[in-house]
This record gives sequence, structure tokens and C-alpha cells, in this order.
Amino acid sequence: MSHAKILICDDSSLARKQIARAIPADCGVDITFAADGEEGLAVMRGGQIDLLFLDLNMPNLDGYGVLQAAQKEALQGHIVVVSGDIQPEANERVMRFGALDFIKKPVDADRLHAILDQLGITCAQRPETATLPPIEVAPMDGLREVSNIAMGRAADLLARLLGVFVELPVPKVDYLESGELQMALLDVAGNEDVAAVCQGFIGGGVSGEALLILHESSYSDLAALLRHDEELNDSSKVELLMDTAGLLIGAFMNGFSDQLDVGFSISHPKLLGRHADIAALIGRNAETWKKVLAIEVSFGIENYNTSAHLLLLFTEESMSSIISRIAYRI
Amino acid sequence: MDMLESKSELREVHWLMDMLQSIDVGLMVVDSQCRLAIWNSFMQNHSNRRPKSVVGQRLWEVFPEVPEEWFRRKIDSVLLLRTPAFTTWEQRPHLLQFPSYRPVTGAASFMFQNTSFLPLVSADGDVNHVGIIIYDVTDVALSRADLESANARLENLSRVDSLTDLYNRGYWEQRLEEEFRRYRRVGTNASLVLFDIDHFKRVNDTYGHPAGDEVLRRVSEVLKVSVRATDICGRYGGEEFAVLLIDTTVDNALILAERLRLALAAESIETAAGTISVTISLGISQLSADVEDHERWIDTADQALYRAKRGGRNRSVVHQTDSAAE
Repeated sequence: MSHAKILICDDSSLARKQIARAIPADCGVDITFAADGEEGLAVMRGGQIDLLFLDLNMPNLDGYGVLQAAQKEALQGHIVVVSGDIQPEANERVMRFGALDFIKKPVDADRLHAILDQLGITCAQRPETATLPPIEVAPMDGLREVSNIAMGRAADLLARLLGVFVELPVPKVDYLESGELQMALLDVAGNEDVAAVCQGFIGGGVSGEALLILHESSYSDLAALLRHDEELNDSSKVELLMDTAGLLIGAFMNGFSDQLDVGFSISHPKLLGRHADIAALIGRNAETWKKVLAIEVSFGIENYNTSAHLLLLFTEESMSSIISRIAYRI
Repeated sequence: MDMLESKSELREVHWLMDMLQSIDVGLMVVDSQCRLAIWNSFMQNHSNRRPKSVVGQRLWEVFPEVPEEWFRRKIDSVLLLRTPAFTTWEQRPHLLQFPSYRPVTGAASFMFQNTSFLPLVSADGDVNHVGIIIYDVTDVALSRADLESANARLENLSRVDSLTDLYNRGYWEQRLEEEFRRYRRVGTNASLVLFDIDHFKRVNDTYGHPAGDEVLRRVSEVLKVSVRATDICGRYGGEEFAVLLIDTTVDNALILAERLRLALAAESIETAAGTISVTISLGISQLSADVEDHERWIDTADQALYRAKRGGRNRSVVHQTDSAAE
């Protein structure tokens, strides 16, 4: 196949660049990009795309939507999913929807080359990763992609432990002032009673805290899924909250520290305001900080009325270290 | 050179080991079968068991208070997921029951504990062991308990009228508002009784304010024994009282009001200034759909009370749109 047309569809510019860079320059391929599912689908409908690298968690239309539309409309071109969502069920679903293959993020160049070979897209030379030009990427976008991969790992553990499919959003990454953080927390809490666990972390010039927020209504589903047989009372609810928090925060931080190459010291979890106003707890300390870098991820469980919200809050001082670590790693 | 280096490394390891032994934190390692592999001096000293006597045993064999099923599940999940697990004293006051060891200032009978379960990676990259860290958090737990009871006392202070020990007007109105909202949501019955001591000014003028206070206290006591535990009583004003009757129709509210009126009329109140008898007038109103808010609800009971006063006092009047029942 000469001058194959490749489309890379991912909402993260970092991920798009990482995939593009892994495709050797001498392959003689034309690469185009799309920043969400709708845009990607429009390009596919225009025809002449031989190979699509497709992300799953995207705004507007996600990867599943693109796969289903492509299948329904019998669009031309092979589709390879490249995602941080490494749940076994996600893999099975995309194959069922007609994907050719599944590559987990961060993308492994050898896997990608094997697929190009399989499709007859031949390249004379494979550059060593070390000699590749550095990627220019906006810090927030880089952090979103790192979070996306860490989130995928946490979801994978949760899915395996509970035997469910975890629904993943696009992680929100933003600077928040103290008032905005309170608004965000109120938004998460809604009108329901919530409880939260907080764990501090520090290492490699990066520090902050992770908050896992659970709605009162989620306990019964979680208890059933975790096969906790005891009656649900206050202390068994704390146990459920602690177990869920340990799992999600632990897995996310593992994924995060692997990608940033930092070993974190993580504090013992602290229980925050059961049946209390979480926003008020945060507000208590409002004078001592101005701005935090926040990553917000909501894990939903398919077919259950259960969701867990993970919030990572970094000190303002951590940002320069995070940026240089992301730049160094990619 | 190598010898020297390894010598100094050995010395550093020795220092670290020394510190791990004397640190005020319990450290132990268990394998995938929950068998103890090592434990530090903290564990030895608090359990009074030497490492030799426990190594190889399962944790619940050494400490029968450890729930076997729960502990196995914890260890299994740490090994499977390779993420740490934690417990706090709020969920489980302690993992191991260590008695308090400070005879004078240790105010708890046992040690409150936080624990961490960490997956330990072996040289070949496998995870077959779990490190368990036990923190003594007795002081934290006790100061939290102190703080909570102090907060509860403060909260109570801000809710209760000090003379009569009934809820004060502010808190009582808050409860009324909540009940009003509940009624809007689920539509259960609720009635309100407002009452007032007849000619109370005359009591104060004749016997003095200390005797007047004595009367207020006695009226409150009779009120408290006349109502159910779920009814919410408040001192509404100087000599005015209010009772919120949950799940109660106007007929039952009238029965309660009459019982209270007769009980008080029969009462001789002993005070330092002499024996005093008083009567009360009561207004009763059941909540209905046409009442817009909790303040209008009070107004209806107040109108009934006004009619009881005008009708000659020492009586109960039910709020009705046209007539008064006595």
C-alpha cells in the first residue's frame, strides 16, 4: 500500500502527536488529525481513509459511537483503537464493534509498527525512540492525557474486582480558585449526603491531596458488588468508603507516578465529614491557599446507580515540576 | 574500597534497623497465607509476645480478636490489586486489642489504631507479602471525642432556653419549618398548639419575678410530662409556649391540650413567695393544604389562642374558618 491515508482521532493533542511520531517518516503515508469523534467521523465519511487510530474517551462523540456509526454505514478503512481504558470489557466491546486491534496508551511503537506491517504499510527505517524530536505540548493537555491513562488503570482494577464495566469520562483538568473549588464540590455533592476520604501525597517536587467522594445512595450497590455481607451500618459504610478510596486513589496514583517517574509518599487516609457539608470543610482553610491545580474524574458503573468522584488537587508550586516531568517523559 | 563501601552500607542498614525497632509504630509482615514473617519491638512490647513465638503463625491465631474472614479478604485484595489498603479508627477502633499502657494520662482502656496494608514487592518483582503498619492514634481519637461532645454541648446551649429547658424560639421555629416542608412533601398530619399563662403579669406583680420564674419552670415540667417524646416543645415568648405535634390530627391535639389545661389548673405551685395557681389558654391549628408557609401556620394557632382569651380564658380553641369549638 503506497501513500496510505491515516487518520488519528483523539481529543488530546499530546496523544495525537505521540501516535504520529511513532509512525516512521519514510512510510510515505498522509496523516490527518481529528480532535473528537464527530470530526473524525466526518473525515471517515469523506472516504479514502485506509487506517484510523481511534481514542475511546472523547467529547461530542466517543470512540464507541464512531465504531458503531462506521459499522452501520459500512465505512471504508481499518480502525485501531488506542485507549487508556484497559478494562477487558472495553477491549471486547471495540472488537465486537469491528475494530481491527486495540493498543493501550501510552502507545507502544512496536505494537503500532506490527499493525502497519500487517496492513502492508511498509517502512524502511524505524527510528529509535531516543532520536525522535521532542513533542511540544500544552501543559494542561499533557496532564489531561497522563490523567486519562492513570484513570484507565484505576477503572481496570475496579472493573476486575467488581466484575462490572466502568464508565469513564474525559478527565477535567483545570486551575481552580478556592471559591471555584467549593462550587465544583457542591456540584459533585448535588442534593445528596456525601462522604469523602482524603489522602495527601508528596514526592519529586509534586504535592497535593486526593479526594474520593461517594454519595450516600452508592453504598448499597457497592456493598452488593463487593459482597460485603454484613448489614450496612455506619462503620461498614466507612469500611466500604475506605476500601473504594484505597483502590481508586492507590491505582490512580500508581499510574500517575509511573508516568511521571516519581515515587510518592502517601499519607494515611483521612475521613472527611460524613453527612457533613464538604464544601464547608474545604472553605475552612480557604485563606491559606489561592489556587490549586485540579484533576476531576467521575467513575460510573454501568447498570448501577453508583458513581465515585476522584479529585486530585495539586499545590500551585507543583505545576512546574509536573510540566517538566511530562515534557521529559514523552 | 568495596569492602569499605559495603561496611558503611552495612552500618547504615544497621542504623535504619535500630530506628525501625524503636519507632513508636507497629510493623509486621505477613505472607499470602496470613502467616507472620517479622514483627518489630513495638509489636513485641505491646503484645508481650516475642517474635520467635509468633513467626509462622496466622495473625488470628496470635490475636483471636482479628476476624479471620475480614483479614483474609484484606490481604487477598492487596496482593491481587497491588494497591495499599487502609483502616481508620472510625471504622474499626483497633485491629489488635492492645490495652492502654499509660496508667495516668491514657484515658482510653485500649489503643485506638489506624492501619496501612502495603503490597511488598520481592526481588523478582512478585508480590507475595503484605506489610502492615499500626499507628497508635489514641490521643487523636480521644481529642476528637472530646471535641464532639463539646460541640454537642455548645449546640444544645444554642438551642435550649436556660430557664425552662425547652427549645428556644429560634430552634423551635427551625423545627417547625422542617415539619412544614415534610408535610408539603409527604402530606402527613401535623398540629400546632400555642398557649399562654393567663394573667401572668399579675403573678409577677404580686409575687415578684423569682416566683414568676418558678411558675414558668413548673408549667414547662408539666408540659414535658404531658406530651410524647416525638412532640417538639418550645418557649415561644415570655409566658407563651408552643408545641409541635407530629403525625397528629386536630382531634388528638385537642385531647392533649385539654389534658394539659386541666393538669395545670389542678396544680398548686410552691414558690418562696407562696403557693400560686395559674390557668392557661390554648389555640390549636392543624396544618392544611391552604396554609402557605410555616409563619401562616403560627398565625392560625395565634388567632385561635386570641379567641380563647376573648372567650374567657382557661380554655382550648381550635382554629376554624367560621366557628370556635370549646
